[in-house]
Amino acid sequence: MFHKPKNALYSRVSRRKFLELGGYGATLLGTGSLAVGFNSVLMHSPVQAASSEEAKWKQYAGSKLVFLSENTPPSFAIRENIKAFYDLTGIEVEILTDDLPVVQQKTGIDLRSGKADYVLNYVQDKPIGAPFADFFVDQSRMFGDETLPQDPEGYGDGAWFENFLTACGRFYDESKVIALPYDSAVAATFYRQDLFEKHSKDFEAEYGYRLEFNNETTWKHVLDIAKFFKAAKESGMDVPYGYAQHQGSFAWTTQLDIQRLMFSHGQWIDFPIDDKLGSKTPGPTNWGDEQSVLMLEKFKELGDASHPDNLANGTLELNTVYQAGNLAMQVQFHEFAASVEDEKTSRAAGGRTAYAPCPKGEPSWIINGGQAVNGTNCGIGGIGINANASEDMQRAAYLFAIWSTSKQNQYEILAGLGGTPTRRSVLDIPEVAAARERPTSMPNALTFDAVYDYGIKDPHFVLGPKIPEANEYHSIIASETQAMLSGEMTPQETADILRQQLNDLNGNYPRRGIRWPVFRPPEIVLVGSERPPVGGPSGRLGD
Amino acid sequence: MTKISQVSVGAQDATSKLFRAREHSVEVEARPLGGDDIKPRKFNPPLPRRYYLYLLAPAIGILAFISLYPFFWLIFLSMQDVDIMGGNWVGLENYANLLTDRRFLNGWSLLLKYSAACLFLQLTIGVILAVIVNNSRYEKVLVTALLMPMMMAPAVAGLLWLFLYNGTFGWYHWIMESLGILGSASILAKADTAMAAIVMVDVWQWTPLITLIALAGLKRVPRDQLEANMVDGASPLRNFFAITLPNLYPVLVIGVLLRFMDNFRFIDHILVLTGGGPASATKILPVYLFEVAFKFFKLGRGAAIALTLLLVTIVLGKILVSVFDKPKGSRS
Repeated sequence: MFHKPKNALYSRVSRRKFLELGGYGATLLGTGSLAVGFNSVLMHSPVQAASSEEAKWKQYAGSKLVFLSENTPPSFAIRENIKAFYDLTGIEVEILTDDLPVVQQKTGIDLRSGKADYVLNYVQDKPIGAPFADFFVDQSRMFGDETLPQDPEGYGDGAWFENFLTACGRFYDESKVIALPYDSAVAATFYRQDLFEKHSKDFEAEYGYRLEFNNETTWKHVLDIAKFFKAAKESGMDVPYGYAQHQGSFAWTTQLDIQRLMFSHGQWIDFPIDDKLGSKTPGPTNWGDEQSVLMLEKFKELGDASHPDNLANGTLELNTVYQAGNLAMQVQFHEFAASVEDEKTSRAAGGRTAYAPCPKGEPSWIINGGQAVNGTNCGIGGIGINANASEDMQRAAYLFAIWSTSKQNQYEILAGLGGTPTRRSVLDIPEVAAARERPTSMPNALTFDAVYDYGIKDPHFVLGPKIPEANEYHSIIASETQAMLSGEMTPQETADILRQQLNDLNGNYPRRGIRWPVFRPPEIVLVGSERPPVGGPSGRLGD
Repeated sequence: MTKISQVSVGAQDATSKLFRAREHSVEVEARPLGGDDIKPRKFNPPLPRRYYLYLLAPAIGILAFISLYPFFWLIFLSMQDVDIMGGNWVGLENYANLLTDRRFLNGWSLLLKYSAACLFLQLTIGVILAVIVNNSRYEKVLVTALLMPMMMAPAVAGLLWLFLYNGTFGWYHWIMESLGILGSASILAKADTAMAAIVMVDVWQWTPLITLIALAGLKRVPRDQLEANMVDGASPLRNFFAITLPNLYPVLVIGVLLRFMDNFRFIDHILVLTGGGPASATKILPVYLFEVAFKFFKLGRGAAIALTLLLVTIVLGKILVSVFDKPKGSRS
């Protein structure tokens, strides 16, 4: 039926030969896969303390490292500029980027399985740092090591913006630094100055004060503004909605959203712990107290006056709504200023947007006797080193960590891709100082007054809670507050359920027992029968 | 030494006389010609049982490694308070805790609603589409067009619908708002409409599978039965319910089982569209399981949830099969 060439390949190759060829092919493939699998490679030329600076940078020339990071501007910029690091050190660095939840999962699996496929990790404070802090290298032991190059500005708290090093580098233990601040996202208020000016008279006629935003603007004012714009919108006027929350599917930023309001009023926090350092045993939660119930009521009022897509908009989507001109005001992370000021994609660009710190607490809403502050939270992404890697691999990774967080690099990222610096000295660069005023070539610099000079400082700064169960905590907060905003529960019921669930969560810390690549019968795995549990007599970390 | 004879399977069975078959002589079978001491040469002598065992061993080994070992390990894991580094033996505590875990119970409730809605819509629309397409002039073109959504990765489908649903620039949102179906809030922004949104995506993507299966079934519906029924004066609708649909049951059961199990496994589009929100309105059990195991790294609790999911899948699968088998049984 079919034409069969006399000299066809299958007629010339015997079955035995064919199988042999298949075997060779499989062997080659297997070898290749193994080579790809061992993607971190180490080459080492030992150096002495007295060696030249160049020798210290070059001591791991020929090595290869893998860095798993979030898809944020610094990572893209460093990937663009990675040749400079290669020229300096001879180390090849592969930078893999993904969305934060994916990075979080991959990092967790790598760290907790005892592997070091990713020697360098993006340590976002609560989502990655809090649950996995024990799996990162304490970099402070490399600070001042004379066989390693050192940053001339050092790594102390004074080298970074206030609270940054503690936010991403210190977890549960003051003496250890597990990450160096690499990029930052600090909350600030973005508002449409043009619309505020245009509607100021109407607003003043209705509410009795001018429609403006400054450091003293309170959450009550925000609620008034939100109601004013919503009423105008629904009456058919050509105005956008006034405000919207971060209540989309990303639980972490949803938690940050409500945290700002809570902290602004009497510096309310979830657990009676050191907010910046965190705790593995946070104890009973403060949810359910009178202050928290009142704040939930106000949060619900704010939700009711917000953009109708309030429960669908995560942080990114919210910014899209603002860029589209459908919102007069948002509390947003300062790294988004670059996109807001992009005239090609944003209707809020061209001087229409102004920046201010987060809203302040309304004194009449404080019933716990605390102070009214401009509650400002953030996500500080650090660069950490996987403790499962060998000592030399860790030292090679340290070279990248200090290079990528250096002043020059941060300046280049800010100027080139709209990054957000973490070193104080970057603000001293004349070009950066000039960029803080319009017209600017570095839009993120427009937020620096509100963020670096005000919001990130105490007493406004809030971070926590840093607890090992941070991710489940975020999920619980997001689910229950969204249920309240949907009208499924009252604020009192929400506070009660949060108290119950978070207290249950506290009694459920992960326990680190014996490593188990192979199956063991239950009696062997029982922690306590073999050795005392890690952490303390109760078996909980931190006891 | 064979002879051709009439087969008498049972003398009383008159119908068997209609058939003729080749039959061996009883003598030849019972007494070989050479006598008792001479055995006929066996060209394919039976091999010892262990020979077959050796042949099967590699396959059994691989199957055990990739399937049985993880399964038993999952059971073992579900009885520990464990993260990836190790854990403590807690017996049935994880299971006991699930009974009071409102997110777990809510996940089951949502999963059952989601699965039932998807199955009902996909079956109804899928069969109707198959009937329309069957023997149509443009059958091939229509089938090709219908299959397109199915060819898309579920995560990509989720992204596509995320844009369509978007309240700021989404086309579907604009249409639904213009028609007065929705208010100003997008379909994903309300707890009571978000579930409908994810069901719609699943129906859009997987109804073609049911259509395809039903179409294959329609090709084997006996024409003589249809014609006989029509001759008896049955309307097309009666013909469909009396002849076509019962003949479709065997193939539909495959489709239903596939989709039923997929609904318990595929969460890609839900993760992309809502992440389980708003207010956990779309956090069906597999989404919660994913969170517990890979966001919270509570592997013991995750294993317990997975096992309950597996158990219920098996039980419900059995029930579904029996429900679909029933009409067939009643026919016979």
